[in-house]
Amino acid sequence: MNPLLALLVLAAVVALAVLVARPDDGWLWRWRLGWRTLQRARTEDALKHLFDCEYQGRLATHQSLVGVLRLGGRRGAELIARMEALGLLVSAEGGFRLTDEGRGEALRVIRIHRLWERYFADETGLEPRRWHPEAERREHLTSPAQADDLSVRLGHPRFDPHGDPIPTPEGELPPPAGRALTDFAAGDEVEVVHVEDEPDAVYAQLVAEGIHPGMRLRVVSVAPERIRFVADFDEVVLAPVIAANVFGAPVAEAADDEATRDEVGAVPLSSVGVGERAQVLGFSRFCRGMERRRLLDLGLLPGTLVEAKMTSPSGDPIAYRVRGAVIALRRSQAEQIRVEQVAQEVTA
Amino acid sequence: MTQPALAHDCSNCPAHHSGNLVRLGVDMSDWDYVVALAGNPNTGKSTVFNALTGLRQHTGNWPGKTVTRAEGGFEVGGDRFKLVDLPGTYSLLSSSLDEETARDFILFGRPDVTVIVVDATRLERNLNLALQVLEITDRAVVCLNLMDEARRQGLDVDARRLARDLGVPVVATAARSGEGLDELNRTIAEVASGAYRCRPRRVGGRSPALREATRSLSGAIQDAFPTLPNPQWVALRLLDGDPTLAAAVESGSLAELVDPEVPEDAGGEAIPVGGDPLLAAGEAFRAGGKGLSEGGEVFRPGGEAFPVDGEALTTGGEAAARSVTEPRATRAAAIEIAESQAAADPAARAAVLELAGQLRWRVGRNFHQALTEAVFAEAARIADRAVTRDGERGRFDFDARLDRLVTSRVFGFPLMLLMLTVVFWLTIAGANVPSSMLATLLIDTVHPLLKQVASAFGLVWWLDGLLIDGVYLATAWVVAVMLPPMAIFFPLFTLLEDFGYLPRVAFNLDRMFHRVGAHGKQALTMAMGWGCNAAAIVSTRIIDSPRERLIAIVTNNFSLCNGRWPTQILIASIFIGGLVPAHLAGAVSALSVVGVAVLGVFLTFAVSWLLSRTVLRGEASAFSLELPPYRPPRVLQTIYTSIIDRTLIVLWRAVIFAAPAGAVIWLLSNIQAGDGSLAAWLIGALDPFGFALGLSGIILVAYIIAVPANEIVIPTILMLTVLVAGVPGVGAGAGVMFELDSEVATARVLEAGGFTLLTAVCLMLFSLVHNPCSTTLYTIWKETRSVRWTAVSALLPVAMGLLLCFVVAQVWRALS
Repeated sequence: MNPLLALLVLAAVVALAVLVARPDDGWLWRWRLGWRTLQRARTEDALKHLFDCEYQGRLATHQSLVGVLRLGGRRGAELIARMEALGLLVSAEGGFRLTDEGRGEALRVIRIHRLWERYFADETGLEPRRWHPEAERREHLTSPAQADDLSVRLGHPRFDPHGDPIPTPEGELPPPAGRALTDFAAGDEVEVVHVEDEPDAVYAQLVAEGIHPGMRLRVVSVAPERIRFVADFDEVVLAPVIAANVFGAPVAEAADDEATRDEVGAVPLSSVGVGERAQVLGFSRFCRGMERRRLLDLGLLPGTLVEAKMTSPSGDPIAYRVRGAVIALRRSQAEQIRVEQVAQEVTA
Repeated sequence: MTQPALAHDCSNCPAHHSGNLVRLGVDMSDWDYVVALAGNPNTGKSTVFNALTGLRQHTGNWPGKTVTRAEGGFEVGGDRFKLVDLPGTYSLLSSSLDEETARDFILFGRPDVTVIVVDATRLERNLNLALQVLEITDRAVVCLNLMDEARRQGLDVDARRLARDLGVPVVATAARSGEGLDELNRTIAEVASGAYRCRPRRVGGRSPALREATRSLSGAIQDAFPTLPNPQWVALRLLDGDPTLAAAVESGSLAELVDPEVPEDAGGEAIPVGGDPLLAAGEAFRAGGKGLSEGGEVFRPGGEAFPVDGEALTTGGEAAARSVTEPRATRAAAIEIAESQAAADPAARAAVLELAGQLRWRVGRNFHQALTEAVFAEAARIADRAVTRDGERGRFDFDARLDRLVTSRVFGFPLMLLMLTVVFWLTIAGANVPSSMLATLLIDTVHPLLKQVASAFGLVWWLDGLLIDGVYLATAWVVAVMLPPMAIFFPLFTLLEDFGYLPRVAFNLDRMFHRVGAHGKQALTMAMGWGCNAAAIVSTRIIDSPRERLIAIVTNNFSLCNGRWPTQILIASIFIGGLVPAHLAGAVSALSVVGVAVLGVFLTFAVSWLLSRTVLRGEASAFSLELPPYRPPRVLQTIYTSIIDRTLIVLWRAVIFAAPAGAVIWLLSNIQAGDGSLAAWLIGALDPFGFALGLSGIILVAYIIAVPANEIVIPTILMLTVLVAGVPGVGAGAGVMFELDSEVATARVLEAGGFTLLTAVCLMLFSLVHNPCSTTLYTIWKETRSVRWTAVSALLPVAMGLLLCFVVAQVWRALS
């Protein structure tokens, strides 16, 4: 037999075997999971929708449910009938309401969903836009025990990366907080508590602007056509329709060191030339999670004096003297650190 | 029933927790006290360690973790101290593996003393860690190291002031020259024995909201674990969502951390024990007075100190039973009973977690930053008071000038190449002589000798062949080829590391590695791979981000290792050198070998890029690289530790794998199946496949059975060739590997086996791109603990190698 042919046949067989038997998204796997999972996924999605409505004080209707699930009228009716039979929901004044059992189930799914999102945000390099869809896919395949493992691994997080609280295993959840950014007035100090991740297009724009829960901002002006605010040194302008998807809580008595950082003269650390000194003001709003923790541990805190020592022959990374040690940072990291140039006399 | 014997002051007893220490892998059977050594990286921590322990040390891993640990011992005034080196970390607040390991040891192992090594030249940064350690434990000594360097830089550090601010003894040392070490020893002993009572500073300066949350939570913790020495710290950890501590609270094992020391406000008198001996034991223990400690009297509990009635046995368990026979165990029993007392209330423990959960919704999302800022602010204040500057000068300038040179646009890269060339030249030139001496000894002298002895004893031929020709010869071969270059290469490498040059190489090359999604330090592990892939896999521990570390592990095999250089050189000089006139042969064959090595570097980058764009796309990643100050390398210590840690461990692993392979090789060549040996049959079966790849059945069989070590591939090929092709006058029989002294004779054997120029080229390529040896694979598995990644590391290069050889062979044949 021609060796070339033999090798090609072998390669083809291997490729086929991989396609069919690959775990997670191989054909065999998908087929096996297929029908049963689909049913479960639809039920769980319906539960989540009902819970969302309840949490926000709205009533879920047949219309809204069918719309969210993208089901035809007949199938939607079937699904609702089945869930009613299972004792997960009851009809009430023209809509549907969760039973206690249904609420428990919904909280379980929401917990898994938000844990996965937290996981993607903290432990992976997955881009923010993929967090939600990826969690949507995995939430239906995760057992409560796996969810608990995940929770332990993440250090029992309390919030998902969109700012929503993660229910406890017992199904506890604090009441909703915050109101839409459009409801604030110029001059308000606001802490972002929630960034709505649907619809996708709006969320993508918010991600691109670096809006994330936990950041502080100061509203500069509110006009019908645009909202201006200052967040971590930069001015951001959003259309109201976008800003309405950002929810914030007023900052009560902001301590001095916690005030919105919008000092004039803030430049990225990467713009500090070799031999020059600068004082750290804070981090850009794009720098968070593990990256931010790492920089903090290295001693790059607001108020720290930093001196650029030398550049790698290829221009990146750049080494800085930080609290007595020489630390190399990549340009992309240095761009996230906002500093203020310091006159040469000050010693670092 | 009164128990006066228990009412002693036990401040002279060890504080460590034996049960937990065993779990943490520390055996305390021969030791009185356990001392932990903590510190930032690059503070001379290992110098202090070596200075304290001398050669009484050994290294290994933390149980179940791929974090290196060194252990050693020393004696002060008759007491034996065990010293455990913790991983060097900047902080204990994050969740990296190193930090977790260090934190767990201080918390759960509860060492009698924690020595915190701080760099006097960078006090503020180092105090960050010191303050965090002092939050966990009371028993600490600060070792203010590198005082000599500080003096040279014109820094005056006031150790007394520092000790007052920190509340623990501070000993100024210069471990490199031995300055201050006696005092350090003495102070450790004082703190361990309780003669010195520390009152460490606890960090304040937190925001009101945070303080409120901490206060209410630590209150709840105190209810659940009334004797816990550091409730505030535990509260902070719980608020930060530390899973280890949450688990310890949940299971009640946190109670094991009750402070064996006596609260200072307790009275000195014995507590009469009432109806409940358990309670009293715990109480008496905690209440035992400072009266005795102030009196300076050393008091050890007697054997009969504890009532061994039924009740004590059932609740106090094993420890109480032991107390009858072991005086020291009495205390352990008392503690454990106090613990069981403290941990008795699961409801209170649940309440702690419940409250922590509630508060965590309130303390908000910037908690970690607030925490870090508070510690650093405190560190800065303390450092400011302790350090007087006299302007920067001296070595500082030298460092800066040297840095400008080694990272300069013009000289940076040439200097690097020069260093690398020198290291290689020293390795090759230096290893030649001992290597051939070892070969003469082990293969040409001992092997025939063993054969003679065996025949004198009338050993049956197959046992003789299996053991001496198979197992012994393979092992001897691996040792002779592997040991000398590794014993030279690794110490040289470690010296450069010690001096501080290697981090600069990573700094210079980071851009290139960044582009393919890897870490600059991979440059170092890649270079280590040129010595030995298995050792290089271990060295990837310097890369602290998991994703980049995996990339470095999987691609390390593309660094042509010490076991493969000889194959490359031999084949190149026979077949490629033979193409050109004799006076060019050397240069051309050398160039072709370098070409193969460069191809390996190229593949490293290509595969890194591929991995970081595909399989590893979603994995976590973070970059940080410290450029430590230059320091004169410690030559003798380096040679000692790098030979012990790197060379001998790897060699041992290789020998373990090579020995059975020798047996397999011998058996395959000697077991007859039909009209030929198994080996001949296998070769026949694989020949067509081998031909398609531009190789041969012999080469494929050699690569399959010589998977334990690349060193024995050529001897196996030669042996198999003689076996199947029958070259008269060479070889030593079926299954006996050999090499020939002259290239001409080797060429004759290989040509008899059907070698052509194409075979040679494909063999060189396949030698670069094939599965790592089994020693390396085992090491990969040990380091990653993942079958999946081990499989990827093995199969990816094989598949690439087969494809590469196939394409080369087909194109070659189509063209010619």
